[in-house]
Amino acid sequence: MNEGIVSPMDEMQVHGALMVGFAQACVNLNIVAGHDATSFIKGLQINDWYPLSQWEKLQELVVRSYGNVDPIMVKVGIAMMTGWYHFGPGKGIVKKGISFLHFQTGSGGFASVVRGPESVVGSFELEQFDKSRGLAVVHSTTPFNRKMECGVLIGGMAAPGDIDYIDVRNDEDPDRLLVEFH
Amino acid sequence: MSSPLTLEDVLAQSDTKLLSELPEKELVRLYWKYRGLTKTLERDTSFWNSTNENLKVAYDKLDEKERELAAAYHIIREDLEVAQSVQNALLPRMFATMASELELSVYHKQLTEVGGDYFDYFRTASDRYAIGVFDISGHGVSSALVMAYLKAQFMTIMERLEDPAEIVEWVNKASFEFLREVRKYATVNFATFAEDKLTYVCGGGYGLLLAKNGEEYSFEKRNHFLGLRQKPYVETELPFVVGDLLVLYTDGMVEAQNAEGTDYSVARLNGLVRKNRDLSTDDIVRLCVEDYQSFRVQDSDDITLLVARKTS
Repeated sequence: MNEGIVSPMDEMQVHGALMVGFAQACVNLNIVAGHDATSFIKGLQINDWYPLSQWEKLQELVVRSYGNVDPIMVKVGIAMMTGWYHFGPGKGIVKKGISFLHFQTGSGGFASVVRGPESVVGSFELEQFDKSRGLAVVHSTTPFNRKMECGVLIGGMAAPGDIDYIDVRNDEDPDRLLVEFH
Repeated sequence: MSSPLTLEDVLAQSDTKLLSELPEKELVRLYWKYRGLTKTLERDTSFWNSTNENLKVAYDKLDEKERELAAAYHIIREDLEVAQSVQNALLPRMFATMASELELSVYHKQLTEVGGDYFDYFRTASDRYAIGVFDISGHGVSSALVMAYLKAQFMTIMERLEDPAEIVEWVNKASFEFLREVRKYATVNFATFAEDKLTYVCGGGYGLLLAKNGEEYSFEKRNHFLGLRQKPYVETELPFVVGDLLVLYTDGMVEAQNAEGTDYSVARLNGLVRKNRDLSTDDIVRLCVEDYQSFRVQDSDDITLLVARKTS
């Protein structure tokens, strides 16, 4: 038995705000995990930190319920950021859609809601950004679901309402999120 | 100087003619807005398709569970039907001595396929006969199993003892631990018959003797239920001669209620028997059952009604 030995994955922690946002999105979308998420969410404290395994447990509730989970995870990501913007602190932090892209890839975004060893936490970095062409590339090595991360970027950029077109794809390389905005 | 027309101005005024006045920059925005809406629609469609697919899988699973349930229900039904035929086979038939002296009719109905009302005819050690009517607590399979157990106990002792109090006491002793363990008990109304008298032990249930000479006796409940405590039973003797009518029943009929919540009642049942005492026992039972069925909303318990007339 390895009791007392904490695996590197267990050392990573996720902020309660992110956990609650995810669970609340599941509830709002009435996806299969809705009821489970409702009971799960009851015990979550928005200012606490939770081991990654807790997050994975919640994510697994959704993933195992759908044959084609990708569109669901995209929608969950969008719903999370819609909630964050309209009912959370988002509106005060991000004024424009493009700002969200910078915010999320900066120290106040992804990096502020996870903590732990860098090798496990990974990164969420803006690799390219070309405003005139409406293109950006985000490189993600986080342990989170990539489709959900696509949704997070779409939802966060769309929330202020000043961008007419947003698409985020990761067709060829799952870790490279290609952002198109106009 | 007015500011250039924007896409939002056109949308606010709902006037498509203004589209031709939009500057190129706003027309490009219109293009992307359209593409953006198309993209949103595409994502939403994918989401709903996935959700629908998930629902379809859920319905398939539900169908499968329903089929499993139906199969399980079918097995249970078959088992219950077998149990019912077993329990029916345990019900008694009159033997010669008894048939030559009694005109007897019974209405017996379990609330479900099997139940805990139990009546029986026994041959005593002196080749006379006895009748027992019992109501085992609860309904259904568990009560039916207790019924079979009690029948076996009576069958074991009947041909060795004569006094009803001794017989019932022996059965109570023999069954006591078992009944306690399965948390069951049973009312007992047990009578042995001699040439011109009957001797009964009553611990629950109902008994009415209408003598031909006009005398009337209600069975006194002087005893405890089977399985409730270990105390001696006491018996009571009554005359029972040709023409006398004996009625034994459980609480199933008299405690059933009409739409207003009124019990069918002992008084109503006894009154009906009294009024029709000169009819055949078959007719008495039929009239009682018809009256009961027109009164009650639904059966709420197992039912046993036994009517016997001394004929010789």
